[in-house]
Amino acid sequence: MNEPQVLEPTERYKILIVVLTLITTIITAVVATLQADANIRANSANRDSQYFAILASAELHRSGLQSTYDLNTFAKVLLERQTELMMQFTALEMEQSGDKFGTALSKISALVAKARADKLTSFSVFYTDPRYASKTTDGTPDGEAYLRDSSKLANEIVEKQNTAADDYHKWSSKADSYVGVLTVMAVAFFLFGLAQALTGRMRLVFAIFGMVILLISSAWTVLILVV
Amino acid sequence: MLKRLNESPRLDIFIAIIIAVVSATTAFAAWRASMVSSAAGDAIRQGLIDAVKKQAGSSEDWRRTYEEAGHAQTYAVALAQVEAFEKSSDKAAQSQGRNMRQYLLPSLQLVTELTTDDKYLKEDGTYDLELRFADLEAATPDLTALDPTASFKLSDQYSSEQRWLTVGVILLAISLFWLALSQLSMKRSRLVTLAIGVGIYLFGLAWFGLVELIFFSVRGGAL
Repeated sequence: MNEPQVLEPTERYKILIVVLTLITTIITAVVATLQADANIRANSANRDSQYFAILASAELHRSGLQSTYDLNTFAKVLLERQTELMMQFTALEMEQSGDKFGTALSKISALVAKARADKLTSFSVFYTDPRYASKTTDGTPDGEAYLRDSSKLANEIVEKQNTAADDYHKWSSKADSYVGVLTVMAVAFFLFGLAQALTGRMRLVFAIFGMVILLISSAWTVLILVV
Repeated sequence: MLKRLNESPRLDIFIAIIIAVVSATTAFAAWRASMVSSAAGDAIRQGLIDAVKKQAGSSEDWRRTYEEAGHAQTYAVALAQVEAFEKSSDKAAQSQGRNMRQYLLPSLQLVTELTTDDKYLKEDGTYDLELRFADLEAATPDLTALDPTASFKLSDQYSSEQRWLTVGVILLAISLFWLALSQLSMKRSRLVTLAIGVGIYLFGLAWFGLVELIFFSVRGGAL
């Protein structure tokens, strides 16, 4: 009659621990790959966020210069138009008071102011650009549309910069979390190593501890991957 | 016979030599992956420096364009004023216009190329600021030629290579684990684990070589 083969205490659960160590190695390899990938993505996003910040800064500078020029031109047009009107009133008053010299002087000043205003008008987008020019003779230019358009490009770049910065935080956080998982995996390796060195029930106890750690770190990895 | 082979000291030495070779290969692969990562970082750094320099140059050119636009506008308005004086029937105004044309306008005109070079003058009497900006940009070809996106593209290639090289390093590390297992084991499974270890090692090596070859050719021969 054949008696059942009983393993020696030094050999019991040894294969189980080898298999567990192998599984831990494979999971660690996967996590290490994910960590490297997350790190690379974080670096790329960080680069993009910095690049877009530079572009946004330059565009804000450019649009600031343009706005200053456009608004100065517009202010000059208003000033010259007001001067023209004022000098016409003055000429009228001089004429009524019989001051011929004063009348002529005021008329010339009004004429010059008109010439200057007409020329400046051709330089102003608020009068020449159909997007901003008033639709009626006495209306005012569409300042809101101008402001919206002048900051449009900068806003678009800033939006891209924000997206890249958010991506950087996301991937950097993931990469950090994977480092945490790898650290916990190291603990599992340590426990399986101890289990391999021990015999009997203690081997199983440490193997179970290692398995618990392995399960926790695997669940953590899945959580990082999904969230 | 198999048992004798398993317990042979020659097999011990053979496995030890393989472990040494795999360890050295893994170290080399890790070094190469680190080098590639560093090259990606360098390309990013270069791209950002180029972006700052290019945008600073561009900002300066815009500043000059609008500064010159202000001067050109002043000239154009003064010219309109002179023409108004000249058309006037008032003799004092005509004289003032004549003197302004003779003494003031030439000075105002010399301040900027927008007013001295006819190519900038548009049909409506204003000036072509885009063309002036393009000419100012063309005057600094070293800054205009900077292309941060080319550096970023290169960094992307290095990063992609690093990603695949990391997989290769991990394969080599896994083969090392199996070989160590084979060295420690004295049973029949020793040869199996040895075969698995060597197999993974060769696969990892081929992987590593293939990745290097692909990215080497993508970069046009640059390491």
